[in-house]
Amino acid sequence: MNIEIAEKIKAMLVENLRIPADELEFTSELFGDDIGLDSIDSIEIIAGIDSLFGVQMTGAAREHFQTIESLTAYVEANMGA
Amino acid sequence: MHNMANSRRCVVTGLGLICALGENTDQCWSAAINGVTGIREVKSVDASECYANMGAEVSAPNGELSHEDYDRASLLCIKAAGEALADAGYTKNSFDDKRIGVIVGNCVGGAASIDVYYTDKKNGCEKASDILKMPAAAIANNVAMHFGLNGATANIVNACAAGTMSLAYACDLIRSGKADAFVAGGSDSFTSLAFAGFHALHALAAGPCSPFNQSNGITLGEGAGILIVESYEHAVKRGAKIYCEILGSGVSSDAHHITAPRPDGEGQMSAIKRAVKNSGLSFTDIDYINAHGTGTAKNDEAEFLSLHTLFDGNDHVSVSSTKSMTGHCLGAAGSIEAVLTVKAVCEDTLPPTIGYADEHLDTLKEKAGDIDFIANTKREKKVNYAVSNSFAFGGNNASIVFAKNEHAIPDSTNKLRIYITGIGELCGTAETEDGKGMRADITSDDYKEHGIKMAFYRKLDRFSQLQLISGMRALADANITVDETNENDIGIIIGTADGPLTEIVNFQKTVIENGTANGSAFSFPNTVYNAAGGYFSIFAGIKGYNVTVANGIQAGIQSICYAADVIHNGEESIMVATGTDENTDVTYELYEKLGYTAKDDKGFTLGEGSVSLILESEESANKRGAKKLCEIVGTSMTHKAVEFGSLIGSEDALKRAVTEACAEAGISVGDIDAVCGFANGNKALDDMEAAVYSELFANKPVIINVRNDIGEARAAAATKQVAHAAELLGEADCKYTYILAAAAGVGGSYSAVVLKKA
Repeated sequence: MNIEIAEKIKAMLVENLRIPADELEFTSELFGDDIGLDSIDSIEIIAGIDSLFGVQMTGAAREHFQTIESLTAYVEANMGA
Repeated sequence: MHNMANSRRCVVTGLGLICALGENTDQCWSAAINGVTGIREVKSVDASECYANMGAEVSAPNGELSHEDYDRASLLCIKAAGEALADAGYTKNSFDDKRIGVIVGNCVGGAASIDVYYTDKKNGCEKASDILKMPAAAIANNVAMHFGLNGATANIVNACAAGTMSLAYACDLIRSGKADAFVAGGSDSFTSLAFAGFHALHALAAGPCSPFNQSNGITLGEGAGILIVESYEHAVKRGAKIYCEILGSGVSSDAHHITAPRPDGEGQMSAIKRAVKNSGLSFTDIDYINAHGTGTAKNDEAEFLSLHTLFDGNDHVSVSSTKSMTGHCLGAAGSIEAVLTVKAVCEDTLPPTIGYADEHLDTLKEKAGDIDFIANTKREKKVNYAVSNSFAFGGNNASIVFAKNEHAIPDSTNKLRIYITGIGELCGTAETEDGKGMRADITSDDYKEHGIKMAFYRKLDRFSQLQLISGMRALADANITVDETNENDIGIIIGTADGPLTEIVNFQKTVIENGTANGSAFSFPNTVYNAAGGYFSIFAGIKGYNVTVANGIQAGIQSICYAADVIHNGEESIMVATGTDENTDVTYELYEKLGYTAKDDKGFTLGEGSVSLILESEESANKRGAKKLCEIVGTSMTHKAVEFGSLIGSEDALKRAVTEACAEAGISVGDIDAVCGFANGNKALDDMEAAVYSELFANKPVIINVRNDIGEARAAAATKQVAHAAELLGEADCKYTYILAAAAGVGGSYSAVVLKKA
């Protein structure tokens, strides 16, 4: 996993979605009970990823949104694409 | 002889309307019944980068609406109010100016001026005068000032339901004898805030909105709808023309989601049921429903379901969404639709929902079933009873009934004693190290105390955080558990001076910086003033009345007056009455720019917080064996119109607030043992307050000040005045019998309550 990308995504989630940094691991289930993201948050994630990396996630499969790890993998695979 | 039934009749005696359909009621009505749309390409907002570019704007520039330098929402409202007052034959001689007030529904406040201020600030040329145009609280005050109206004044800020709630509140106040008439309705201007917000949520339709049809999003609009709502007896006495009657209304909470309606329609149906029941009608009596009909999939599906569930046994009801032509005018929507509904009742003509192509009509037939959803062309039929529905962000629902002829409505009012049975608060009590006033300390422990999980509280902006914690603390202090047995018997009234200004400003700054296409979907739901009440109702599970009032500092006492009225109207047995205001870097900077943070005669220590009281009927309190801190024996709301931002010249309204609250309590002013006042360090204000008290109170009651401890926490401090008095009276050895608390709001609004030892 690209730590630099993961850290940037984490910072974006903390800043844009008010998730306390100390409760957010790279493997935390974002849409599970603990963090509890919903459909409005996913809009914000799409906008944040686009703005940070120029990667479009509109229409991307749900599995790519599960954790910071999976978001990072998607960004890595699609950057510059 | 005084006729009891007549004393409860409310009638409409004047109409005023401005929206994309026209600049007066006749123009708008003619367009609406002929299916002419007001939706065009947006001009006032840069939508070039957006997937949607439609809007229903008013073409008249600000200068043509009224001469003052006010925010556009105020100017639109003045324009409509002017038409309505003229239509009603208003003259200074035919009304007691202290018995005609202004109640305006609004959603985005002065967002257009917030846009101007921060755009200017980017260029280093921001103007302090624009700050006074920002709060929603300015609107009703500006209308009152323009027309010299000095009755009770309120701004109802429950987003898209506000325009209907304002009419409901106006009728309730008239029925309880607190006013003869109101200039009531709603107003909102087209703003980049709303456009960028709904765009971010993907809630805008790419083309014109298509309610009950394509249901692929809303089209925003702007405008103002004003009705002169008047007591029947007053209207008859002055020989006024009467359009129709306003019967009952209903207000409810979904307690479900901050933006989406409950899919099962429970909250919507609860509001409609309350309105029909309070009108003494049954569902089969209704001839026309002006639907909320926004055109989003979620609203339309839920509303189809609600209407079918309640009206399927009615073989003559017709339904339409005039938003297909006016666009969604947010806080003005309910009142614009109310004007169109009144016209429908008077003219026996129903405006259609437009936008159906031939191929859509079969699908509509399927979805409509036996209900007549009017497509494309007007319907002419006899309309005796009509309902108008409004459903809002935060899960707030409102419904109201209009009738062609006199119809006796059930009197469910009571004179039950009301007690304060719980207090919850969270205020700043120490000055911050950076010298920016007092700030409340919120930690994760505050949430854990009430089982609020991070997944919930991370959504909240500061205004909502303060509200949620104080509200939950108050419920806990009163030992109230909300469950299926009482969820519909509990309501909420929140008062605020500045609302969620920080979230609004931060959202707006992002839009200024990054463009209309790049608003934050996460923060937009929090930019509506009623989001805090929405989150609170969702977490607590409260499904009753839910209104937020933005009306300066005194809104923290006005919320108590309003909540007591809701109990006396028989709507709820328990009310949470709150005052909430935040002090962030954004708030502090704006107050600093206005000169209110300086260490001089003008300045005060800015504070923040939220204070919630539980108001409870004697019946409910006894049943639960609740502790009674004190009794609320008198309330009053008064106004003396002066420029928004000032109080100079309004002392007469403070005198009236005190004397009227005492009169309602059945005591003389001299019976007051102590006064919890509103002095904050601003010398002109403090001197005025002291002068009024020394004139009114020959017995020199003890004057108590709470702002020494919590700073000028605005509405929170106003509620704190009452909380502090309640705590004193609740002490076993308290030597006071009556304590009065009074507060002021810029523009000349005052409210007062008299508390009595229980």
